[in-house]
Amino acid sequence: MRKGIVQLVAIGVVIGVLVTLVAVLFQWLPTSASEEFDRIQDIYWFATIMSIVIFSVVVAVVVYSVWKWRVPADDDLDGPPIHGNTGLEIVWTAVPAILVIALGIVSAFVLSKNGEAGNRPLEVKAIGQQFAWKFEYSDYGNFTTGELVLPVDREARFTMESVDVIHSFWVPNFGQKMDAVPGIETSILVTPTRTGEFAVVCAELCGLGHATMRAKARVVTQNEFDQWVKENRA
Amino acid sequence: MTATHHDPPHTEYPAHFEPPHGPTWKAFFGPGIVRGAWMAGVGFVLGMLLVLVLRRWWGWEPYWKTDVILVVGGMVAAPLGFLGGIGAFDYWLYYISGRPTRPEDHSGHGAHSWKDYFRVNTDHKVIGIQYLVTTFVFFTIGGLMAMFFRAELAQPGLQFVDSQTFNGLVSVHATLMIFLFIIPAFAGLANFAVPLMLGAPDMAFPRLNALSFWLLPIAGVMFVSSFLAPGGAFGAGWTGYAPLAEGQPLGQTFFNMGVQWAGASSILTALNFLVTIITMRAPGMTFWRMPLLVWANFTTSLLVVIATPFIAGSQFFVMFDRIMHTSFFTPEGGGYVLGYQHIFWFYSHPAVYIMMLPGFGIVSEVISSMSRKPIFGYRLMALSLMGILVLGFSVWAHHMFIAGMADWLRVPMMITTLLIAIPTGIKVFSWVATLWRGRIHLNTPMLFALGFVTMFVIGGLSGVYLGSVPIDIAASDTYFIVAHIHYVLFGGSVFTIFAGIYYWFPKMTGRMYSERLGKWHFWLTFVSFNATFFPMHYVGLRGMPRRVFDYDEAFGDLNFVISIASFVLGASFIVFVYNIVTSWVRGPIADANPWRAHTLEWQVSSPPPIFNFDEIPQVVGGPYEYGVPGARHAIMSPGREAKEAEEVHA
Amino acid sequence: MSAHAEALHDHHGPPEANQSSRVDSRTLGMFLFIGSEIMLFGSFFAAYFFVRVVNPSAPAEWPPPPYEFPVFVAGVNTAILVTSSFTMHWALQSIKRGHRAGFLAGMVLTFVMGLAFLTTQVVEYLNVGFNTGDGAFASVFFGLTGLHGAHVAVGLSLLLMVIIRGFRGHFSPEHHHGVELPGIYWHFVDIMWIVVYATVYLL
Repeated sequence: MRKGIVQLVAIGVVIGVLVTLVAVLFQWLPTSASEEFDRIQDIYWFATIMSIVIFSVVVAVVVYSVWKWRVPADDDLDGPPIHGNTGLEIVWTAVPAILVIALGIVSAFVLSKNGEAGNRPLEVKAIGQQFAWKFEYSDYGNFTTGELVLPVDREARFTMESVDVIHSFWVPNFGQKMDAVPGIETSILVTPTRTGEFAVVCAELCGLGHATMRAKARVVTQNEFDQWVKENRA
Repeated sequence: MTATHHDPPHTEYPAHFEPPHGPTWKAFFGPGIVRGAWMAGVGFVLGMLLVLVLRRWWGWEPYWKTDVILVVGGMVAAPLGFLGGIGAFDYWLYYISGRPTRPEDHSGHGAHSWKDYFRVNTDHKVIGIQYLVTTFVFFTIGGLMAMFFRAELAQPGLQFVDSQTFNGLVSVHATLMIFLFIIPAFAGLANFAVPLMLGAPDMAFPRLNALSFWLLPIAGVMFVSSFLAPGGAFGAGWTGYAPLAEGQPLGQTFFNMGVQWAGASSILTALNFLVTIITMRAPGMTFWRMPLLVWANFTTSLLVVIATPFIAGSQFFVMFDRIMHTSFFTPEGGGYVLGYQHIFWFYSHPAVYIMMLPGFGIVSEVISSMSRKPIFGYRLMALSLMGILVLGFSVWAHHMFIAGMADWLRVPMMITTLLIAIPTGIKVFSWVATLWRGRIHLNTPMLFALGFVTMFVIGGLSGVYLGSVPIDIAASDTYFIVAHIHYVLFGGSVFTIFAGIYYWFPKMTGRMYSERLGKWHFWLTFVSFNATFFPMHYVGLRGMPRRVFDYDEAFGDLNFVISIASFVLGASFIVFVYNIVTSWVRGPIADANPWRAHTLEWQVSSPPPIFNFDEIPQVVGGPYEYGVPGARHAIMSPGREAKEAEEVHA
Repeated sequence: MSAHAEALHDHHGPPEANQSSRVDSRTLGMFLFIGSEIMLFGSFFAAYFFVRVVNPSAPAEWPPPPYEFPVFVAGVNTAILVTSSFTMHWALQSIKRGHRAGFLAGMVLTFVMGLAFLTTQVVEYLNVGFNTGDGAFASVFFGLTGLHGAHVAVGLSLLLMVIIRGFRGHFSPEHHHGVELPGIYWHFVDIMWIVVYATVYLL
């Protein structure tokens, strides 16, 4: 019996290590370019650790059981009439409950922090239409461009609008996404943390040109941003 | 093909009635597919005339309005004509006309040749097989569509189809898989197995059961024929969001109406299951002695009856907006765009449980009998089904975390969504505990059941990720969702459907499938399934949105791999079809109880007698009493046993 | 095979199913069907709720001026429908007691009143002063009342079946299930109207 438990644990550890390698050796998440995504990536890792453990336990028991107790087709004996075990059932109800509630609490916290607009965020309107994005800078006289430019380390509040159908404003490296819905205004906060070029993607099926509804996003220094504003609002 | 035992067709006509006509007249004017076809045409013409006459009378120009005529003539009157033509309404029309009731002669019951599967048949076993064959036809069509658009997606850019066709392919693929495969395939398996498991001679309403089946191909034809509409197939996704759906060409109407027919089929079947399970259990079968498949279909049927009308409503509103210029979802007229999503998802979230719970029931049956052990924690298994049922109505807005709905709704929905992992987790752990110290027969049904358990854990865990609002904000509407969906619906539901078909194949057909081919099918499917869908988690998180025909170059290699794997997955299905067809035609004759299972369907012949039981059995114990010497679930012929016992004592 | 077993195999029909519940199966079926119908109305009430309460740009006045709902006419219609439920109940009670005349009179009266309700509704539609294209308030007005009207039509078809069979003498104090179940449906239609009327015209 002891030997069996050791073997079971060994199988679990092997599976756990393999899955962990898969989780760690590939870069599943794009490089975070925003504070909000940094927080989201933390919860992602919390969920990943939880998932590795649960998956390893389940698969280990399946593999072990099939290995130890498989019988040929012509075997006609029954197994022991085990109907349940109250203690075990309590444990496997309570532990997942605790884990998901923990995830929920952490997520609620991150959601709240990611929704906290500081004072004077940069206001940008992202207007979706079939099949292009337009960005409007209300802080700077409402000029519009097709290219999104943001200053690094400054919080930006995006307000989404749509002139026709539902679109969705998404920059994968920012980790933030929000639908642009006709008839209402939606908003999302992004605080870029690194300079660079990123893609703006439409993430809600909006018709024939959905796949092509992309734009460029550039995060630049404050000086470069001010320069860019001056050039464009003219 | 499937010969039922004992009873040849026996038609007793009332004394004054003579069989009127010869075979040719009967083929054309008697109830059947031929009459169904031409009465569909008649229905279309009548519907069209009705529209033209009314529009002329009210002076609404233009008199010829294609979409109205299509809906009334083509999508309501023609299907009704078809149903009348095949004879689905015969008994009720006779009843309505007030003629004297005639005793049921059971001539519509049972199958003695393949032709009996192509007509209105009141036998739940026949209807079950009708469902299964029909759903697999649509599985094939939907699967071919998937391989077509995977061919397009193998490289960046547009190579084979235009964007309208692409959108149509992905939309029709999903619609067929959901409404014409998973939901009705489970209904078909349950139709076959549940009355037998309950010790009942049939379902509570056999004629309604037959009608419910025939509603289904109507929906399938509607969805597939949308490709013929000007402007192409409906291309707003299976979710059909307003306002996109409202501006789409004519093909969208095929979706709006097809959903209604599929929904009606689903609701009527569920109603039948509920009444059967509540009122027709064999004596001694308390709820706590029902097999878990019955529990699963009981909870699923409650979900269907309560939730399905909401998708009907959502599609009615879109149709009204499109055709009658109402403003349910058009902001210019005061409509509320997000209202569509709330109403749609209020059904469509429970729909995913409708697509999973019967599978849970199947897995319980298979794991228990193939481990030779009772299901671990039977009561909690039944209660967790009820828990999922109740909680399942409280989570719909997790599909709308980024939709722009009221902020305050997000955290409560996150909580209920995360909580639903608990009853689901209980089930997974219980199945696994059932394996522990069992005597495990690793045959094809068991392989699919264990494949399900492991794959569903992955799908369920990706669901936990998505339950967290911040993670969902990053991952929603990407290929991460596509990965999640397919892990729970393919690795989940489809695997259980395969498990169920292999498991009950000997019972349904009286023949045994090839175990060797079954194992090939499983392993080919398992490997290619993972190769197809696991990488989608990656491309999704890294920035590939869903429902796109083109994507960033960086995703080209992985998409290529995914596409090749999907072709292998498609090919693996051929192994299944070959196995099923050849075994059905000339497989070895199967025993009544090849799995030595305890539930009632295994205590009658394979295939079962035409009316299931000679005598209603007397249930005396639980359905999974393996390992207890002398334990019995039921006494099969209580009357005869009692009589024989008397004779012994006399 | 023993003679006893052979006798069992020679029947031409199924064994009688066990009745595992005191609830009659057909009544349960009707109630479950009504349950799904209630949910269908629920989706229409949800649409109303979204358009009037949730929509941030919903008009302050409902219906928005210059439109008005014909509260009085619909009120009279309500009285007609409620009365028809009483006549339906009377019809059922009559046949339970074997009073054929009362049963038939009650059924016909119920049908006629139902027909009057529908006719009044059609006339109301023609004179209400707005049509389906006039905005969200009109959409939910026609949606809810129209859905209900469709159900009245279904109810009338059921009543007609009962009347036809009733005149042919098919019902009796022992066999009146075919009256009771359409009656239950009719009462559902009536009660649903009260909810629809209150929501659409009064609130």
